[in-house]
Amino acid sequence: MEKRKKDSDIDAIVAKYRPVVSFRVKKSIGVQTPDWEDVVNEIMINVVEKLKKGEFRGDSSVGTFIYTITSRRIIDFIRKKSKVLKHAPEPNPYLSPHEHVENRERAQWIADSIKRLKPKYREVLFLYYYQELSREEVAKKLKISPRRVSERVNYAQKLLRKVMKE
Amino acid sequence: MKKCKLENLIDEYLFDRLDETQKESFEEHYFSCHQCFEKLEEKNEMIAVIKTKGDEIFQDVYAPTKIRRSWLDSVLAFLTPRQWAMAAVSAALILVVSIGVIPNLKTSTPEFFINDDLVRGSSITLISPMIDNLEQIPSEFRWQSLGENTEYKLFIFHQEELLWSTTTEENFVTLSENIKSLMAPGKKYSWQVKAFSPEGTLIAVSSRVQFNFLSSK
Repeated sequence: MEKRKKDSDIDAIVAKYRPVVSFRVKKSIGVQTPDWEDVVNEIMINVVEKLKKGEFRGDSSVGTFIYTITSRRIIDFIRKKSKVLKHAPEPNPYLSPHEHVENRERAQWIADSIKRLKPKYREVLFLYYYQELSREEVAKKLKISPRRVSERVNYAQKLLRKVMKE
Repeated sequence: MKKCKLENLIDEYLFDRLDETQKESFEEHYFSCHQCFEKLEEKNEMIAVIKTKGDEIFQDVYAPTKIRRSWLDSVLAFLTPRQWAMAAVSAALILVVSIGVIPNLKTSTPEFFINDDLVRGSSITLISPMIDNLEQIPSEFRWQSLGENTEYKLFIFHQEELLWSTTTEENFVTLSENIKSLMAPGKKYSWQVKAFSPEGTLIAVSSRVQFNFLSSK
């Protein structure tokens, strides 16, 4: 069985998994500092090395293989960071790790699209995502069933997905 | 394309409501399931926009009105955002007066009122702490004041459970050492603020923001 991956395969793998690794890393360590990009790069380099050396045995999926490397790196990074307590500059209060919106124009575009949704969809988005109430709590407030809450939330997202893909 | 069974975990994952095992298992899953990852990215972006631009987006959800919904839809599309900004201030004033004066508002469509919590005015903008992975336990929780004669209730949650709450008339709370000792590094916390009028009516609710810290020193 072919154990080593061809270069073109490796490029394809990197292209496919870089966004996933980036997402995971950003969520775990935040985006306030540029550290996350370094961590992602280190992980991808590590992955490429291992693929070239034939260390990937193919008994799990490539995704799981990359997931394992990613998890280890993140743990190492956090351990290192906890030990070195440098004085951090005053952080921007509006940039929270997984709530960081990278492209301002796009963010405004999405916000405007949400504003254009019918009130019943905006209500559920407000209660469920902005206030993070549970399905049941939202149902109680709006006097509808929890199932209807889910349906509305899903439908609102469907409507927005069309917009976000533009 | 058939729906992936684990799709419903996306929201729970993004809100940090999964336990450690479920979380790791879902993280491993989206490395392999491209469908889930795509949806996860989209949802994450949508939530990010909602959280950062929520005040702007949900202004009318806050302002109860007698206007029927269909008319409201066309009105919303009618004005530009800038015009809305200017209209919002005057509209808010008018609405606050109308609500106080007109008793039959209670029979309007329930969807516009957050149930028995009559919500008026704007949301509460939280100031700090607003980020995860703080180096130390936060000493102070601060938010934008809504003006005079407002009472605030601060809630601190550990995961879904209420850990502690307090009431204040200031727009900040300083944690005592006793309260700080209730929290441990690495655990997931969140906070939220509610504003009340002097009579005890709920005026506004902030979004719930997560935080955690790395060291207890």
